[in-house]
Amino acid sequence: MNLLRALYQKEMIDGLRDRRSLFSSFFFPFLAPLFIYGLMTLMIEQNTKKETIELPVIGGEYAPALIQHLLENGIEVTAFSDDPEQAIRDKSVDLVLEIPADYQASMAAFELTRVGMIHDGSRNDTRATVSRVRQLIRSYSSELNALRLISRGISPRLIQGVQPKNEDIASEEQRAANILSYIPIYVLMAAFVCGLGLAIDTTAGERERRSLEPLLINPVPRLKLIFGKWLAASTLSAVGMVITLILCLWTMLALPLDELGFRFSLAKSQIPLLVLAILPVPLLACSLQLLLGLFAKSFKDAQSYIGILVILPVVPGLVLQFYPVTTSLWMYLVPILGQSLMIKELLGAEPVAFAAYFLSFASTVATSLGICLIAARLLDQERVIQG
Amino acid sequence: MIEVSGLRKSFAEVTALKGVSFSAQNAKVTGLLGPNGAGKSTSLRILYGLLKPDTGWAKIDGLDVSLERLKAQARLGVLPDGHGLYARLTAREHMAFFGRLHGISPDVLEQRSDELIRMLDMQTIADRRTEGFSQGERMKVCLARALIHSPDNIVLDEPTNGLDVMTTRKVRELINELRQLGLCVLFSSHIMHEVSRLCDEIVIIAEGQVVAQGVPDAIRESAGEENLEDAFVILSERAARL
Repeated sequence: MNLLRALYQKEMIDGLRDRRSLFSSFFFPFLAPLFIYGLMTLMIEQNTKKETIELPVIGGEYAPALIQHLLENGIEVTAFSDDPEQAIRDKSVDLVLEIPADYQASMAAFELTRVGMIHDGSRNDTRATVSRVRQLIRSYSSELNALRLISRGISPRLIQGVQPKNEDIASEEQRAANILSYIPIYVLMAAFVCGLGLAIDTTAGERERRSLEPLLINPVPRLKLIFGKWLAASTLSAVGMVITLILCLWTMLALPLDELGFRFSLAKSQIPLLVLAILPVPLLACSLQLLLGLFAKSFKDAQSYIGILVILPVVPGLVLQFYPVTTSLWMYLVPILGQSLMIKELLGAEPVAFAAYFLSFASTVATSLGICLIAARLLDQERVIQG
Repeated sequence: MIEVSGLRKSFAEVTALKGVSFSAQNAKVTGLLGPNGAGKSTSLRILYGLLKPDTGWAKIDGLDVSLERLKAQARLGVLPDGHGLYARLTAREHMAFFGRLHGISPDVLEQRSDELIRMLDMQTIADRRTEGFSQGERMKVCLARALIHSPDNIVLDEPTNGLDVMTTRKVRELINELRQLGLCVLFSSHIMHEVSRLCDEIVIIAEGQVVAQGVPDAIRESAGEENLEDAFVILSERAARL
């Protein structure tokens, strides 16, 4: 125990004095919430912008009733006389409505009357405007149809057919949790970023500065050497991860999310549960980093291997976002995936089974210990010293 | 006391050791002499438990290094081939860390650190971080690190390599002091006059084999040469022809 404490303390002192690497590691926990804040503010702004759609119309005088319908629904109609295609290409207008000169005649003859909607389908920012105007024209058309039927003594209900009815069963918290699905990604990534500097320095760095050989000639079991390095790196990683979590939550609480139709509330009792759920992740992250650090041929090699590892926490997050599967208990046994699920559920105010905590904790810690054992075996191999 | 017997070791296609046996007694300085690549470092690395021999054994005070690595390592102080230090730790922190790895209690550790700082003239550098230390200063920290647990057996791998005259003299003085304390000192070198001046016993290694062993006079005799350096060259060449 004394031996382990000596190893741990030395690694911690060494790691904490490495200011440069410490700063670059802990840049991430402070950057992530800032990023969230910016992104969410932008989203809220876009969603709550009072939608006064300005619609340039060519030949509006031919269809006064349609124009009236648009005006009643909050569209600001302006007369337009330039080349519509050119104007859209210049991005000076989003959409131009073109009413043909024979509009009245065509209507009177009960022919199919077309009005032109000229827009650029490759632009994402105008899509909402286009669909809004299209929908208004459709609703005008169905009103007109109904009137035509009534005037002939037919009930408009005859042509009603089938219509979808919207029923969203997601609670406001759940919808928010979907939006929040990148919080687990950030938090888990922090675990992989914050201990990285120490993990590389104490493995590949140790060998490169030729201090590994003097270390290995001391009467210390290899596994204890690994444990000392592992726990020190994990400490930094855990601190960074918890800072990221707290700052991300604090950011979410500070944002006016209700304007998006989401509710994000956080009970104080949830924070310890969140921390408990993710606590084994630094152990896993650092054990992998140590193993790769020992395996790598050089410091640079180690940096690139371990850099790739940072992507790992993104994988379950992405999978969950694009391929929403029903959660079953075995998923908690998969390290990283289990923790991603639990963060999502806890933030969405869904109940998390005790078994989930137990399974994810046990499997992640066991995996980490297994990786440490492999690392200790690697340290026993002559290859490690020979380089 | 250090003994190795019948050490053989191959790396991939290179046979580094072809059966090396020698011993180093207490209260004596034993020099391991040989040209670069002769197998000195490989032998020493097996001795301090970093490499495993293909066959043969190495014992420290009768403890087989392969079988009882931790016990054997506890009785050994080593200045290894790698002189790496932790740049962000001070000289004193180095001694404390390695002392604790040997399980030395804090008060003994402090006493011993002060003793070594005096012995190695480290007063001015003891509490400075080792970053930017000169070659000589680094060597002193390495020596202090090797001696912190007062081992009975000392192995020094090329201790004077790359040092200036003053530090080299200091290291030689230290080796003499250690002998007077009754320790078993084994050091490797490729510098002839250093070995001839310091050693009670010489082991000449060439091409992965021991080609001569004994007191300096006996070695001169066996080669039929007056000068130890000539003796060394003749013995090494004889080994190369085999």
